[in-house]
Formats: sequence, C-alpha cells, structure tokens
Amino acid sequence: MKIKDKYLQNSKDSWNNNKTWHPLIVSLVLVISLAIVHKAYWISTTETNPAEVWANKQITKDGNNWTINFEEDVGDSITFKGILRTAPKFEVYKNDTFVPGKYSEGEALIYSEDLYGKTMLNVSGIRILVNDDLSKKFFVSEIITIKATLISNISTFDNNGEKVTLVREGWVAETNDISLSSSKDNYFFIAELLIFFAGLYFSLKRVTNLKEQARLVWHLAKFELNQGIKSPRMIVLGVIFTLFIIGMGWLLGDLQNGDPESAFFVQNANGALQQLCFFVFFVVSLAAIGVSVDSFHKERQANTLNILLAKPVNRETIVIGKAVGLSLVVGIPAFVAQILGLIFMINAGDLPSTSGIIAFIICGQIMIFTLVSFQLCFAIAARSGTDVVMYGLGMWLLFAVVWNLLIYAISFALGIDVTADDFENDPEFQTIASHMGMLNPGYVYQFAVGLLTHRTLAIDLEGIPGWLILLALVLWPITCLRTAAKLFKREVKG
Amino acid sequence: MTQNLLRVENVKKAYRRYNLLGKEISKFSALNGLNLNVEKGQIYGFLGPNGAGKTTTIKCIIGILEADSGNIVIDGKNIKGNGLYFKNKIGFLPEQVGLYGRLTALESLQFYGRFYDLNDDLIKKRGKKLLAKLGLDKDSNRRVGEFSLGMKKRLALCIALLNKPEILVLDEPTSGLDPRGVKALRIVLKDLNEKGLTIILSSHVLTEVQEICSHVGIIDNGKLIREESIDAIRREIEKKSIKLILKVKELPKQISEEISKNNKVKSINQKNDGKHEEITIELKEEHIPWITDFLVSKGIQIFSIEPKKNSLEEIFLKETGGN
Repeated sequence: MKIKDKYLQNSKDSWNNNKTWHPLIVSLVLVISLAIVHKAYWISTTETNPAEVWANKQITKDGNNWTINFEEDVGDSITFKGILRTAPKFEVYKNDTFVPGKYSEGEALIYSEDLYGKTMLNVSGIRILVNDDLSKKFFVSEIITIKATLISNISTFDNNGEKVTLVREGWVAETNDISLSSSKDNYFFIAELLIFFAGLYFSLKRVTNLKEQARLVWHLAKFELNQGIKSPRMIVLGVIFTLFIIGMGWLLGDLQNGDPESAFFVQNANGALQQLCFFVFFVVSLAAIGVSVDSFHKERQANTLNILLAKPVNRETIVIGKAVGLSLVVGIPAFVAQILGLIFMINAGDLPSTSGIIAFIICGQIMIFTLVSFQLCFAIAARSGTDVVMYGLGMWLLFAVVWNLLIYAISFALGIDVTADDFENDPEFQTIASHMGMLNPGYVYQFAVGLLTHRTLAIDLEGIPGWLILLALVLWPITCLRTAAKLFKREVKG
Repeated sequence: MTQNLLRVENVKKAYRRYNLLGKEISKFSALNGLNLNVEKGQIYGFLGPNGAGKTTTIKCIIGILEADSGNIVIDGKNIKGNGLYFKNKIGFLPEQVGLYGRLTALESLQFYGRFYDLNDDLIKKRGKKLLAKLGLDKDSNRRVGEFSLGMKKRLALCIALLNKPEILVLDEPTSGLDPRGVKALRIVLKDLNEKGLTIILSSHVLTEVQEICSHVGIIDNGKLIREESIDAIRREIEKKSIKLILKVKELPKQISEEISKNNKVKSINQKNDGKHEEITIELKEEHIPWITDFLVSKGIQIFSIEPKKNSLEEIFLKETGGN
C-alpha cells in the first residue's frame, strides 16, 4: 500500500512538474489510440495473416489422385494484406524459368505454358497467381492489399512415369485487385503526424523564453563549431574518414560490376548505398567520440563550465547547443565525404534512386547528431577523460564491430542453428537481426536509407515495418539528447 | 534605511552518490540550515574554514546548484523557478577561473555577453571600458591562453560585470594572485561598491576580509555561526586584552610577581632568548603606559615594546573552534 501510494504520488508530482509537455503527452496518447484504430481497421477489413491461410491447405496424395484443398470455399474472395516477400520481377513465369509438366511443391501447382507472362506473388507466405507481368509494377518488401479469389482446376502431370491427376485449388487475382496499402495508410499517417505536431507546437509554445533559448542554442552551436572545426584532431580525422568513405564508395560501385556468384557481389546501386551507410557510420562514430571528449568533461576540468552556468541559460540549452555544434563539427566534413563517396560510387557503378541519395545524406546527418548526443551522455556522466574515451570506444566496438556476433549469440540462444549453411537467409534469423538492428543507430541509418529508396513508406524490411524505422530514426536522437540533458540537469542536485 | 537584497533562509544542501540502480550510497551534508542576510551596498565577507560550505552556498546563490530545502530570496523574490531572471542580476567570479584559451579577451567578452540581452555594439563598448578599468586594454586582442592567472581573473571579473549586475559574487577572489594583484583587486572592488554594487565574497584570507568587507558572516559545518558588521567586530577587538611583548635586559622575580598580582594584568610569561628577557603581558590597550612607566620606575632597561593586537583571525578561530 505504501509503495503504491508513493508511486502514485511520484507520478502525480512528475505529471505536475511537466506541465509544459502536457499537450505533447496528450497528442502522443491520441496518436497511439489512432494507431490502434488503424490496426483494427486493417484487421477487420483484410486478412492480415496470409501465411496461416496458406499453411491450412490440405494436400492429399491418394495414389495417382492428388488434391489440394483450402479451408475456404471455391469462389470465395478474400482481401489479403501482406508483404511482398520476393521481388515480383523474379516471380514472372518465362519459358526459361521452368519445365512445363513439372509439379512444384512450394507453389502447389503444375507448371504449364499457360503460366507464361503471369506472376506468382509471395504475399507474406501465401502464393497468389496474378494474371499479369508485375515486374515493374510492384517491388520486394512493399506492403500491399490484394483481393484474391479461390478457384479450382483439374490437370494431369507425369510423376516418375505415372500419370497423376491433380484437383487443385489456388488463389488468383488480377492487377486491378492489387494496391499499395500505403494508399489508405497515408490518411492515418497524416492524421497521426498532424496530431503529433499540434501537440509539439502547443508544448513548445509553453516553453519559457523559447525564442531566447533557441537563439542561445545557435550561439553555443556556432561557438562549438568555430572551436571544433579548426582543431588539429578534427582536421586529421576529417581527412582520414573522407578518404575511407571515398575508397569504400569506389569499391562498392565497382563491386556492382563484379561476378554475381562472388560473396562480395553488390546487387544494385541502392544496395551499395545501404552498405556505404555502414562505412559512414563506422568512421563517423569515431569522430563523435573525439569531439565529445572535448566537451563537458574537458570544460569541467578547465573550469569553463562554472562561468557558463552562471549565465542566464538553461542547462538543456547548453546540452542542445553543444550537441548541435559538435554535430556540425563532425557533420560538415562528413557531408563532404558523403558527397565524394557518392560521386566515386556512381562513377564506378550505377546511379541509386534520388530519394535514396537524399536519405543517405539527411539520415546520415541525423545519425551523426544521434552519435554525438550519445557520446555526450558519457562526457557528462564520466568521472575522467579516460572513462569518456573508454566508454565511447566500447560503444563503437559494440555498434560497429561486434554487433553481428551479438546477433549470432542471441540467435543461437533462441535456438537458431548458426552453424548451418545459408543460415543468414533463415527468416527467423533475419527477424532477430532486423529487430536487434533497431537498437543500433548504425543499422537504423541503413534501414532508413533502405526504406527511403522505395517509392512508398509502407515497406517491411525483414519484419520491421517502415513506420518503426522512421520512429527509431526520430527516437534515437531525441532519447540520447534527452538523456544527456537529464544527466547534466541532475548535477544541479549535487 | 538599508534594504535587504539577499536572504538565505534555512538552506540545506547535501551531496549524494548513487549506485547504478539509482540507490543512494553516500551522503555528505554541506549546508545544514544556513541563514544569511546581505543588504544592498554591503561588501559581505563570507568566512569559513575549508569544507565549511562557502562554495556550496555561492553555487546555490548563483544557481549552479539547487538547495535541497530552504529559500534563497533576492530582492524579495525566491530564486526557485526564476533562476534565469536572477542570473541576469548576478555577476560571478569563480575561484578557479576557466576561460576559452583560443579566444581573445574581447572575443571572450562577446561570447559571454551574448547570453544577456545585449547587442554586439553595446558588448564591445562596455567590454572595452571594463578592460581599460581593469588594466587589460592593451591585451584586448591577445589570446586568453597567453594570459597569466592574474590577467585571467581580471578578465573573468570583466565578464562578471558585463551585464551591470546588482550583486557581484566572488569565490576566493584573491587565490593565486600576487600581492600587487590582490591590492589592485581590492581597489577595484571598493570602487565598484562605492558605485552601489553589492559584493559577496568568500575567503579564508582573513586580513583581506578585514580590509575590504563591511560585513562578515562566519560559517562552519554548513551553519552560520556569526554575522556582524566589521565595525562591531573592530569594537569587540578593541575591548579585548592585547598581548604586549617587551624585551628587557633582566626582570627580577619579585618585580615579575608584583606585575602579575596587579589586577590590570591578565597574565605574564617570560622567557630568555639568550640575549634578552622576553616578557609577554596580557592587558588592555589603555594600560600600556602604566606598565612601561612601572618598569622604568623599577629601573628595568627596555629594548623593545611590541603590542600584538587581536584580529579577526582570533575571533574566527574562536568561533570555529580552531587554535
């Protein structure tokens, strides 16, 4: 009872102490409610688990009479919502892709010449035959809705010299029955964004001296930029990581023209762009450690913070100002390196999508801000300069070097055989890897660029929906900055 | 009529350490219900031994730390929740002055000046005036990294004065300064005070406080032990006995006993340094002529007389339980 009362009192105090952010909190509650309505809408209007429908089919092999039956009745139409698990361009039947007269267990049909020019979609596990070539109309990972009808037909095929009759039920659809789910999702997303921004707007309006504090953020940021960009350490780091990114860009461009059987083959320009993201993250996180060591910790040692803290400026403003300034210190040379890396990659390979290029640059700057804010937490909390560097390097090793080992270890612990050949293509492993990726800013950066190379945000990347990637991209810097500000503000309590 | 500018009311402040789970693992109480009163126009000397809570008090006043309980009231308003407003009224000079070494003196003033509602021209104008006043006008375009400690302190004082504060708070302002620097600082502070600035300074250099301050507060273990005007302390000192050190050729025992029996004398000690007899007599200042006349009348040859007056140091040591 006592604990409950204490908890209630603390919650009440915390609510009352954060009056400024009440509109934002209310808007977030509304956004979550709308998201639940959004989900409920899809569940009530579509079949959101197509894999279950596919798995429930009955295959009976009674001598030479085989049947494939679904639980649904022939003629039934169902609107499925799911993810295109494979690229439609690889699922179009052509005369060189199959041998007519062969039975395919995976697709539950007999190959025939009638299939030429048709596409067998894999929508979240269910196979639906579309009477059209969809190779340039839909793309892998897109979330679609498709109205499919269950039909039945009888055909025969030669099974090791014996004539087998197959009474087969299967799902078919026309091109007009397929649409990107984003066409309806967008209404919900726009409503959610509007509510969120309204909450943010009214909360910011409640912040005391917002304009003045914003001016001071920029004043501090400019100061940090002027101090940091001229430092010999940053010049050396800038040159090294520019050369590294240029080299990697050129290599990834060149690998697009390599042997498709090679382990290092890069499938397309967008894939290369995603890989380049990792190398940008790899070097930029080191630079973030370098600049953050010089911030709070060094200032505390040099006693410059005391004079600053006696000035009419919030502690949050100091943290934000420093985070913005130091991000620019890393971000400006990184921007130059990104552009040069891209130029070299495009020269040696193909041109990635425009949205991908923009995402590569903008999301890269967001990632730099995240890393700097993350390192600032250590710079504020650590007791010595060595601690700042050690914690920073530890996190760099974790995020940039040993993350994959961590994924393997967790996958192994969850029962996945990580010694098996091709285990990296196991959907379960991919789901674990992608979900864990949300906890790594470098992976979030890669996912975000991967997401934005598509024409729609209604994408599912190995089990991670597009909205979650965007949310992670926004939440990472906010959480790091908020933690840094909280740690710095806590010092006022002694 | 004097006006109460700063009131510290029953302020408590503890430093805590927490483990990774956020559980408190140690606590050190720096301030234990501290009370202070500073009136407008005073130079308030804030005395206390090391670890008494002087710097913590100052940090609470200027808003670097937040008191656990109690009130800090400036001009009738509690600073809690109005920190930014009050920071505009206070100038602060920390004990350890840290400035950005790559900036010049003028650039430093411009950097810190922009935290106030001052435009660039005004900052430049005021900055140049302050630099001239504190003898740094010739160094205004030199990098701060090349400055001596004294110059840095003077520049930090310029920064503290840039917004024309109502209260100037100085934490151990003379620490690390040479005697010339101390003297120069004393002159500047007195001059600023004469122009109406209220000054609060913490120090453990008692002569400095005695010479500069109009009022003194002594704290120990985070509590105010005594708060008094320097004049009242001076009067108290004067009322007290002083020690008179006399060097004579020889002091016979019966004369020594005669002196000690006289009720004008509190105590008498004598020792021989091989050359002279050194007598230390504790008595009131007004009785010095009597003792010298008495010794001369007894034919004692006096080589030197040295009155050793009581000082703030003795009061400080007495109040804080030192020796």
